[in-house]
Amino acid sequence: MSTDQWGETRRTPIRSVAEILSNADEGHSSRRLTLRVPDFPGFAPGQFAMLSAGALAAAERSDPLLPRPMAIYRSVASPQGADVEILYKVTGRGTALLAEALAGQRVSIVGPLGHAFPAPEPGDRVWIVAGGTGIASVFDLAARLKSTHRPTVLLGARTEGDLMAVEDFESLGIDLRITTDDGSRGAPGLVTQLLEESLETVASTRVFTCGPTPMMRRCAQICAAAGVPCVAALENHMACGFGVCLGCAAPLVRGGYALVCRDGPAFDAAEIDWAGLA
Amino acid sequence: MSAGVDTAVNLAGIALRNPVLTASGTFGYGTEFSPFLDLRRIGGFVAKSLTLEPRIGNPPPRISEAPSAMLNAISLENVGVDVFIRTKLPAIPDGVTVIASVFETEIDRYAEVCARLAGVPRVAGLEINASCPHVKSGGIEFGQDPAVLARLVASARRATPGPLLVKLSPNVTHIAEMARVCEGEGADGVSLINAVQALEIDTSRRRPVLANGLGGLSGPAIRPIALRMVWQAAQAISIPICGIGGIGSAEDAIKFLLAGATAVQVGTANYLHPAIAGEIAEGMAEYARDHGFERLSDLVGQLEFPSR
Repeated sequence: MSTDQWGETRRTPIRSVAEILSNADEGHSSRRLTLRVPDFPGFAPGQFAMLSAGALAAAERSDPLLPRPMAIYRSVASPQGADVEILYKVTGRGTALLAEALAGQRVSIVGPLGHAFPAPEPGDRVWIVAGGTGIASVFDLAARLKSTHRPTVLLGARTEGDLMAVEDFESLGIDLRITTDDGSRGAPGLVTQLLEESLETVASTRVFTCGPTPMMRRCAQICAAAGVPCVAALENHMACGFGVCLGCAAPLVRGGYALVCRDGPAFDAAEIDWAGLA
Repeated sequence: MSAGVDTAVNLAGIALRNPVLTASGTFGYGTEFSPFLDLRRIGGFVAKSLTLEPRIGNPPPRISEAPSAMLNAISLENVGVDVFIRTKLPAIPDGVTVIASVFETEIDRYAEVCARLAGVPRVAGLEINASCPHVKSGGIEFGQDPAVLARLVASARRATPGPLLVKLSPNVTHIAEMARVCEGEGADGVSLINAVQALEIDTSRRRPVLANGLGGLSGPAIRPIALRMVWQAAQAISIPICGIGGIGSAEDAIKFLLAGATAVQVGTANYLHPAIAGEIAEGMAEYARDHGFERLSDLVGQLEFPSR
């Protein structure tokens, strides 16, 4: 058995039918879904799952047809597998359908999928920059590094209502800085402006980011200019999540494409051709 | 597998343990599914279409959703025939039936890919993709013009002595005519349907959603169209048919057998549920048992169509 960089046995993904334990409204179209997933092998930070509301088989619900990729927020081992938390916002038909699902109902889940954020070396100075729903992708990273690396976490959103999981981050007791475009919470402005003003570039500085493409692109530019390695978790549309539909192609600087599901979602930000990313 | 039901079928000279294959382009090179599905639960799979040289796909966006369907325009990204033979085939577990899919832009190149695959021990047969609906200079002309299709099938027939299937385009007026052309030129069977040529529009940008413009529609929305075309082809030819189009359950697959298909291919549903093809195979056997059929092959063409 091989081990991943997070010191745990590499997990073979499963396809399972999960029971919804809760699907709670956290305000501002933000929701927290908790699933009891039989045989779930756990995950590493940055990995994701494909979720289909109602689609136990293709015939049971065919519209919307495709499962949705969702970052795994947290997972707690249970005797039967794990209780898996997903934080999401209602942004379209798939998530609107998911929001209607009740406790006790079942959803199809495939995961954990993709390459996690690479674990930082001991002593690295870690910065985590996230915006919008990308905030859900970095919580577990911050949680796992809170004692070993004391990461600085910068969260940004358009308004206070667009932020997610702020109380969870606050409970980690780490250096947490918040921006909103309209100043309704934290400093007014863009999270990337805050990064540019405050990033301390020592040799061991490392940046991890997830969020809207323009935010990650700017983050990659700031890091490149400062000579700081940056890992970005991409959030493309995809149909399968495990490397066969080829729908989630991300253009590379060296030419050709990587698959976000198979080669990512965590990438060295310098390898991504951000201008060509749809 | 349900006791007492014989699930084996012979598709164009390829012996299959059951009639469920998975469709080219939806199943990678097979090993992607190994965490989820023992490939020996299904009849076999059709690998991603191969070209002479490796191919890079289209720029994104490559996929989009439509009611009970998806659109894709991947442009047949693949590793090329030689890498497939050297590295992909050996990774496939023993006992798994592999059909290679062939796509090219010229008849001579189709024939060359066929020739390189002919006699490769793990390749049980070839499927000529005559129907890819989204490559400007490629499959669409081959599959839509009976004379061109005839030349393509004849050329492939000369290049390979083994089982030869031709995957037909649905984007034609008379599918039966295209099926007859394939039979006449020596194909051992036909697979239908490929994705239906389609367009989705982003009204905010007044542009197609897909970077390629047009794409191929697949999923449950196309199933009744596929059933109609399989039935029409079955009336016209005596070589076996492999039915494809929106199959997501054993009941869907049974419908294709009733319409005249000897075997089926599961496509888009593999994305939703990576073990679905195995469940479909097992469900088909249960259907046969529950309805008093000793062999799944006894269901082929049993549709009682109203006389006109």
